[in-house]
Formats: sequence, structure tokens, C-alpha cells
Amino acid sequence: MAVPVAGKRPRRPGRLKRLSPLGLLGVALLSLAGLLYLYPLFWLLDASFRRAVDIFQFPPALFREPLLTALRGYTLESFRHAFGHWHVGWAFGVSVLTTLAGIALTLLVCSLAAYAFAFLEFPGRRALFAAILASMMLPMTTMITPFYRVLRSLGLTNNLLGLIIPYAASAFGVFLLRQYFIKIPRSFMEAAKVEGAGHLRIWWSIILPLSRPALAALAIVQFRAIWNDFLYPMIILRSESLFTLPVRIQVMDSQNFNKPYDAIISAGFITALVPMIAFLVFQRQFIEGLAGGIKE
Amino acid sequence: MFTSAAQPPLPAAQTHPRRRRGRDALGGWAMVAPFLILLLVFNLYVFGSGLYLSLTDQQGINAGDFVGLENYRDLLFADEFKAQDLYRAIGTTFLYTLGCLATQVPVAFALAYVLNTIPFRRLRTALRAAFFLPVLINTVVIALLFRMFFNRDQGIVNQLLGALGLPSHVDWLMNSQWALPLLVVVSFWQWTGFHTVYFLAQLQTIDPALYEAARLDGITPFGALLRITLPLMRPAITFVMVTAAIGGLQMFDLVFMLFPNATYGPGGVAKTLVAYIYDQGFSQQFLTGVASAIGWITFLIIAAVSILQLRVLGLGKHGEA
Repeated sequence: MAVPVAGKRPRRPGRLKRLSPLGLLGVALLSLAGLLYLYPLFWLLDASFRRAVDIFQFPPALFREPLLTALRGYTLESFRHAFGHWHVGWAFGVSVLTTLAGIALTLLVCSLAAYAFAFLEFPGRRALFAAILASMMLPMTTMITPFYRVLRSLGLTNNLLGLIIPYAASAFGVFLLRQYFIKIPRSFMEAAKVEGAGHLRIWWSIILPLSRPALAALAIVQFRAIWNDFLYPMIILRSESLFTLPVRIQVMDSQNFNKPYDAIISAGFITALVPMIAFLVFQRQFIEGLAGGIKE
Repeated sequence: MFTSAAQPPLPAAQTHPRRRRGRDALGGWAMVAPFLILLLVFNLYVFGSGLYLSLTDQQGINAGDFVGLENYRDLLFADEFKAQDLYRAIGTTFLYTLGCLATQVPVAFALAYVLNTIPFRRLRTALRAAFFLPVLINTVVIALLFRMFFNRDQGIVNQLLGALGLPSHVDWLMNSQWALPLLVVVSFWQWTGFHTVYFLAQLQTIDPALYEAARLDGITPFGALLRITLPLMRPAITFVMVTAAIGGLQMFDLVFMLFPNATYGPGGVAKTLVAYIYDQGFSQQFLTGVASAIGWITFLIIAAVSILQLRVLGLGKHGEA
């Protein structure tokens, strides 16, 4: 009774002291490991600004030459090569377009369904929701052949719509949003109902604005999935003008003579950079979205 | 499965709340409809038509004939070459998945455990971010990066080994013994931080008072790890194991891009099941029927593994109505 709250309350003064010297060493080593872990990304960043002949030098100029000399060696040549000769800029635009459209359609379709599962009583609701949850486990990559046939019979192969629409069938999205919706106090909706607002109205002007965090989390999950998808776009697209960034990179890599390493690396750098920037800006939503499946 | 979609809503009702229910029913189905149609067309119908295709000898754009279980028979035992390829792909895929689970899950757990003890919040967040970043990067890019790193003459791996005075002329990408370990290594780099995030999220839900009580009872930190942390982490461990296995068994991008020219490793030693599907269905002969059969075999394998894992590991208290 004399020592009740000793361990919990006073966090401020002694955070450093709570670590033994050994613990401190551990933290330092772990930090070093974290830095080393990112070495491939540093390499990618550095290499994409090097001339083609310098890319594979070892050790890299940064570790070999004085810093200033090393930095002076940077050039945009590889980007010029990638954009000028390999149409990476166009592929970037296609990737941005399909990703944004895919996210928008997912949010629309999934939030409508989630609203119904959260607030409406309709026959078969429970069974249907359970079936949708189960469909989350379906390994879709095993079905690339029939998937391609289905898209072709719908006229969606070699068509950007074929890259956008199927993503909206996200069972995870319905699940994530529904879990958020059911926590919204019903009182918010009652007032609107009394004024005669229909479900669509309530969904659009009350529930969606209140659910921005969940919508953001879902948007981010979809962003990562669509931006990085490779197998589907590769089998669906034929025309070079529709190729997304990963497919474009694969085409560049399939060049057997004079493989354009510099252009591949700078295109890869751009492909990697976009989600990393998004992550640094939306770190919390990223973690919440990806950990969403396990939160409950 | 969804036949209830066609049934009329519950009989219209007498009382007021009942009538509201009837209106809800229509509205409910209407709001679910767009999602449901997409799910039916792009998921369930795809699986169904895959099953049908797997019973035909369809090739390319020719509508094939119904051949019953012939594709399955060929793949499983009748056709020597196909069967050999299938069993090799199954073996490769399982070894790869086992390798991934055995390396990533324990390390991710340990990493989360250690990160959770770091008392500096900012450093903890920064380290979590560092280990998480590779998850965001396109597998195509990662595979190409590591292909360059493992290059015999110019790759950083051999250069480093040489600088340390170790044997530095291993041709990693052309040596069939190294194909699977390389894939496991790259996958480790890409995914461990992802699992760490799940573990860390779950660790942070554990009430510190439990550890305090254990300490007062004279339980060592290691005892607390075994008796408090691990049991409470079971849902997260199960979740990570199941999703990692489902992902590993479907691996394609990595092996397709890590080895040059879609060779799937020297002599195709690292051809996974999905790579086998792609090979049969989308390159050279376009054997749609055969590819669909391999697809269904793969699907059944994945389903069996998932069910087995859930049985053995248990769901714990995960999930709610």
C-alpha cells in the first residue's frame, strides 16, 4: 500500500533511466539495423540519378568519393531515357488514373453495401455478410485463366475499365467500413429520419462525412493494392499505350540486348517513390487500414 | 448460395415498425446490389467458370469440348510430364511458403516485442516505419533490385563478400540450389515488417497491469512472455500465419521477375503453382483448360492449408458478430 503507483505515473523524468546500458546498446543496434534494412532503397534512390555506366560501381560513389564530388555526379539522364524512349511518363499517368478511379469506385460501392449491413434489416443479411467475409479468403490469383475469359466476354480486356471495376469487389472494404459504421451513434441518423431523409441521403450527407478515417484507411489499402498490381494488368492489357508502370518495367526488362538498366532503375524509383511519399504523409491511416482486419 | 436475392422480402406487415422493415428490405438489397453484382461476377462466377473450363480442352480462343476429368487425370498421374511439373510446382510452392513462415513470423514477433519495449515513442514509430517500408514497394521493382544485387559480377552481394575476403564468385541466380533460398530472403525483406505491424498493434492492446501483477507474483519476464503475451497474441499469430500462407502459396510476381526472361530459376526449378498456371494459360500454347485445372488444384490446396491452420492454431477470441 505504500508503493502503489510507482511504476506507472511518473513517465516523464526517467525514460532514459528505464533502459539499462545493455538495453540502450540494444536500441542503438536496432536503429542501425533499421537503417541497414533500408539500404536497398538508398541504393535505388542513388542509382536512379547516376549515369548508366556508373550504376554498378562498387563501392557506390557516395562511399568512395568525397561527398561533394559524389553529389556532383548526379544527373537526370536515366529519367530522360526512361521518359523519352520508354514512355514511362505515359505509363505513370495510366497508373495514376487507374489507381484513383479504382479507389473512388471501391469507396462508393463498398460504403453503400456497408451502410446496408450496418443499419438496415433485410432478409438474408447475416448469411450474406458471412458469405462476403468468407470470400475475403478466396485466392483470386489461382483463377487468372477464367478471370481473363470473364473479362474478355464483357469486353473488358485491353481496356482500362477492366483494370478498375474488379477492384471494387472488395469484401475487406465492406467489412472495414461496416465495422466503423456500427460505432456511429444512431442518434445522428434519427434527426435526419424525422425530417424525412431517405437512406441514400443519410448515407451521403451524414454517414460518409463522419467516416472519413475509415474511408481514408480503405483508400490507402486499395491504393497499395492497385498501384502495385502486376499479374492482372499484364494478362489483361495488350496495347502498349495502356500499360501501367509495373507492366512497362517488365517490358523494359524483357529487352535482351542492351537492357536499359538506367531507365529500369529510374522507372522503378518512381514506382516505389509514390507509395513511400503517401506513407510518410498518411502513416497512421496506412497502419490502421492494414491492421484493420485484426483490430476487432 | 444467394438464392435469397430472388425471394420477395418478408411478408408485408401490420404494425408500424414492421412496415419500416419491409421498406428497409428493399433499400437494403438495393444498396448491397452494386457490390454484390461485382462480387458475383468477378469472384464467384470466375470460380465457377474456372471449374467448367477445367473440364474442357479449351485452347486459346477455340471453344473446346467437354472432356470430364481428363485434365485432372493428366495432371495428377496420367501424363508423365504434366504430373512431374505439377508435383514439382507443389513442392516448390510449399517449400517457399514454409521457408517464409519459418523465417518471417518468429522474427516479426521478436521485432514487435522488442520495438514495444522501446520507451522512446518517436524512435519506435520511425523504426516501425523503416521495417514497414518495403511492404509498399512493387514486387516487380524489388525483384529487379535484388536481381542486380545478386548478380555474379556486378552485384553488391558478391562485392561485399569479396571485400570481406570470402568466396565471391557464386552465381546466385544461376545455381539451382540457391533459387528457393533467394526467394525466401527477398520475401523476408519485403514482408517481415508487415507482420511486425500486426503484432505490434496487438501487443499494444495488452494491459500493462497484467505484467505488473505477474511481476508481483514473482514471475520472470520470460515467464510472462510465455504465460501472458503469447496466449493473448494468439489471434494475431493465427491471422499472420494464415494470411502469410495464403499469400505465399500464390506467389508469382517475385519468381517471375527475380530470374531473367521468366525462366523461374535455372531449369525452372523455382516454378511455383501460379507460375505454372500462367505458363500453361498465357504463354506459348494457351492451354486454358489445363491452366484452369491447375488453378482449381491450387485453390483446393490453399483452402485445405487454411482450414488446417485454423484448426491447429485456433481462432482464439478473434472476430465478432
